[in-house]
Amino acid sequence: MPSGKHKSGRYRKVFVKTPGAKNVVHYRERKPNKAICGNCKKPLLGVPRDRPAIFGKLAKTERRPERPYGGVLCSACARNLHKEKAREGQ
Amino acid sequence: MSIFNVGRVCVKLAGRDAGKKCVVVEQIDARFVMVDGETRRKKVSTKHLEPLTQTVEIKEKASHDDVKKVFDKLGLKVWETKAKKTTERPKKQKLKKEKPVKKAAKKTEEKATVKKEEKKEVKESKPEEKEVSQEEVKVEEAIEA
Repeated sequence: MPSGKHKSGRYRKVFVKTPGAKNVVHYRERKPNKAICGNCKKPLLGVPRDRPAIFGKLAKTERRPERPYGGVLCSACARNLHKEKAREGQ
Repeated sequence: MSIFNVGRVCVKLAGRDAGKKCVVVEQIDARFVMVDGETRRKKVSTKHLEPLTQTVEIKEKASHDDVKKVFDKLGLKVWETKAKKTTERPKKQKLKKEKPVKKAAKKTEEKATVKKEEKKEVKESKPEEKEVSQEEVKVEEAIEA
């Protein structure tokens, strides 16, 4: 019988074929949702879709784009923001 | 004549210098300009620049030092690359980690040699006994005969 934590939907099932030719169910944690832009809600490019434990193993430059607002806003929204700020400052 | 003339102050929109102010130093062609200031000195597409009304008196192809003088008057910091010295970098300390392993290996070797010597002694001692015993047996046989 699967234990309670395996029935809550937190884990996904993976069917693995063992060397003894049995099919066994393994449980793995689900991947999080795709990172989205804070403004337009479109999926961000250059941000891997992985759990925080794996994010810790990556280099900081591999986790998000290396521009200001990288990993928070998409490139188009960041451009618009910089334009607005530049025009306000005048 | 485009708006990106020499001396035009702009804000960079794309890349890691985005949101920083720069001055057009040279017009390369209709699309590209050379830019310097808070950003790195770089050839840049005009699509990546937002022009401001502000202009600055600068010669064409002005050097980085000239741009720095102008930007100091405006109260802006200029991008400066710091050349890293080789001594500043921490050296890889692999050798220190390997040392204890080597010591352990030496110890095992020493132990192994000690054991071998002991075994040799044992071996040497055993055949003598055997010889003695054989001689005794021979003597006994002779006596019986």
